[in-house]
Amino acid sequence: MKLLASIRDYVDAQVHPSVQTDALTSARHRAFIAPRLLGSLAALATLPAYLAMRGVPSLLEVAVFAWLIAPILTAYFLSRTGKFESAHVLSSLALTGLVTMVAAKTGGIGSFAAIWFVIVPLEAALSASRRVVAVASTLVLAAAALLVLCGAYDLLPAPAEHSQAALAALGVISASLYATGLALGAESLARTSFWLLYAEEDRYRLLACNMTDVIARHGRNGTVLFISPAAEAMFGATAAELKGHGLFDRVHVADRPAYLTALSDASAQGEEHPVEFRVRRDDADGTVRFIWIEMRCRPLGHAVGETVTLGAREVVAVMRDVTARKIQEQSVEEARREAERANDAKGRFLATMSHELRTPLNAIIGFSDMLVNEKEMRLDGARRREYAQLINDSGNHLLAVVNGILDMSKLDTGEFDIRPEPFGLAGAIGNCCDLLALKAREAGIELSMHVSETLPEIVADKRALKQILLNLLSNAIKFTDAGGRVKVTAEVEGTMIAIAVADTGIGIGAEDLPRIGSPFFQARGSYDRRHDGTGLGLSIVKGLASLHGGDVAIDSRLGEGTRITVRLPLDCERARSETIQSNIIRHADGFAAVLTEETMPVKKSA
Amino acid sequence: MAKTVLIVEDNELNMKLFHDLLEAHGYNTVGTRNGIEALDLARKHRPNLILMDIQLPEVSGLEVTKWLKDDPDLKAIPVVAVTAFAMKGDEERIREGGCEAYLSKPISVGKFIETIRQFLGDA
Repeated sequence: MKLLASIRDYVDAQVHPSVQTDALTSARHRAFIAPRLLGSLAALATLPAYLAMRGVPSLLEVAVFAWLIAPILTAYFLSRTGKFESAHVLSSLALTGLVTMVAAKTGGIGSFAAIWFVIVPLEAALSASRRVVAVASTLVLAAAALLVLCGAYDLLPAPAEHSQAALAALGVISASLYATGLALGAESLARTSFWLLYAEEDRYRLLACNMTDVIARHGRNGTVLFISPAAEAMFGATAAELKGHGLFDRVHVADRPAYLTALSDASAQGEEHPVEFRVRRDDADGTVRFIWIEMRCRPLGHAVGETVTLGAREVVAVMRDVTARKIQEQSVEEARREAERANDAKGRFLATMSHELRTPLNAIIGFSDMLVNEKEMRLDGARRREYAQLINDSGNHLLAVVNGILDMSKLDTGEFDIRPEPFGLAGAIGNCCDLLALKAREAGIELSMHVSETLPEIVADKRALKQILLNLLSNAIKFTDAGGRVKVTAEVEGTMIAIAVADTGIGIGAEDLPRIGSPFFQARGSYDRRHDGTGLGLSIVKGLASLHGGDVAIDSRLGEGTRITVRLPLDCERARSETIQSNIIRHADGFAAVLTEETMPVKKSA
Repeated sequence: MAKTVLIVEDNELNMKLFHDLLEAHGYNTVGTRNGIEALDLARKHRPNLILMDIQLPEVSGLEVTKWLKDDPDLKAIPVVAVTAFAMKGDEERIREGGCEAYLSKPISVGKFIETIRQFLGDA
């Protein structure tokens, strides 16, 4: 075994470097080199024994043995140059020459050696080259013709008196053995090439089955002629379903033009450009969704350096699922837009705030300027007092705006402290009504309160509730004309208390309702006067109510009146902890800590 | 005859301020809180100057200015915007809207009167 292995290694080492990477060609080279080297060496090895038996050899015998060196030379030639066809031709030449020479000495075309002529084209067949076979056949025919001619003209020496029958047998047997060797070599080559093909196919199958990208061949009209097995994983449909128009039918309607354009551009103009489109995917559980596919097309048979002939060609498309990337892109875009919106909102808020601060400042600075120049302005005492009062009013308004802004900002950033405590609601509502009773009377408005004395105590921030009530009541009085009514009610609704302030005032138009409660917004539909106020009252009410875990509902009709209902939990402390609890449960998958932080915007004071 | 200024201003206190200031300097004034009424008053009184607030109920002062400037009879009347819109770009926007001058609130009384005089001369 060791000897065989070392012989194989030696033969392998003789294969020309240029073909060592190509398994099939190097196998051919080995099949050429090995028998020639071994056969010739074995034949030469018999030389001493032959000489011992025969005594002094004849000239012919010397020539034959000398000729045995020829296969070693051709093998060496192939090993050095790697020229397979030339080596085969040389080999054919050598064999033809040997056979011709032996035959000429032993009776011409009728010689026992003539049968070896058949071997020459057979041997050439192993080269797998028609050219070599043609050359070998021509050589053999020419040699045979030469022998025939020479025989016809008696140019050949008379054959030696040997046992013709024995020699003929020797010729046939040796030729048959050699032919058998060739046949075995041919079979071995065929098997090698079969295994190589099989291995190659295996590699491609491995690629096709494990690659996540899908490869498809499209016909000239864009139909799918072939699609790789990976399509099944990608589209949730079998390759057979996707063939023909199957894939096109799954492309999102809006993306079909881009899909077809990419295919036809690749087919007609040889342009390779990637295109992205959506394809319907059938999931195993029966749900249907669209995935994003990136497709790169190139025309079939368009290789580097090849002249590109314009016109319709088949197209090879490589498709890749880029849904994850698309989703990420979209979320980045969404985040960017959200940031822009937030920035715009901040800009608008600042502009509005600047406007709201400048308006009262204008009166303060203007009137005080006039007071400074009282002589020039010829102001009498009454005027001066009036201006001082106006300055005072404007200053107070400005203070209200500033306080409102601060409250809003606290509510916004979650720094507004609420301190829940139990107290009786009826008493709290009564206090607020008392505070505004004078203002209502001055405006000629009837302010009434309908609250049952049996209402349970509620747990809430008393200051916040007072601010809610005062804001709602003063708004109601402000927007109600003399002779109107403002009514406060409170009743229990399940675990909530609903406090409602209804007026018979100017009301709010349907188009303004959605914006009511936005900071600084005062509805101004068709009113003939701009009402005092910062436009912050209701947005503060909304903020305070939501801090308690409650909400605000507005019901209003233009010219008929407004009813604003604030719903608060009877026990805001418990409601808030339940809200937080349920948020934790809902987001129990690792985000709980973050969300708890977010859902507890209120720093609770002791 | 004293020159007349039309004041379009929706804030009561600011209306009184402009009215008193102009009166103290010898101008007649006509006032309205409403942009639509401003147009009627302009036609009726043919003021020598219009002081225009920009944020008004119903229609903005810019809109009213556009109507004034589109009216061949009224477009010669100079319009001075007096507004609390004083953010970057507001002045350009308002001047492009057709106003001949721009004063931001809070006003400086000196500059206010000076601007009025530029257009009307002494009363």
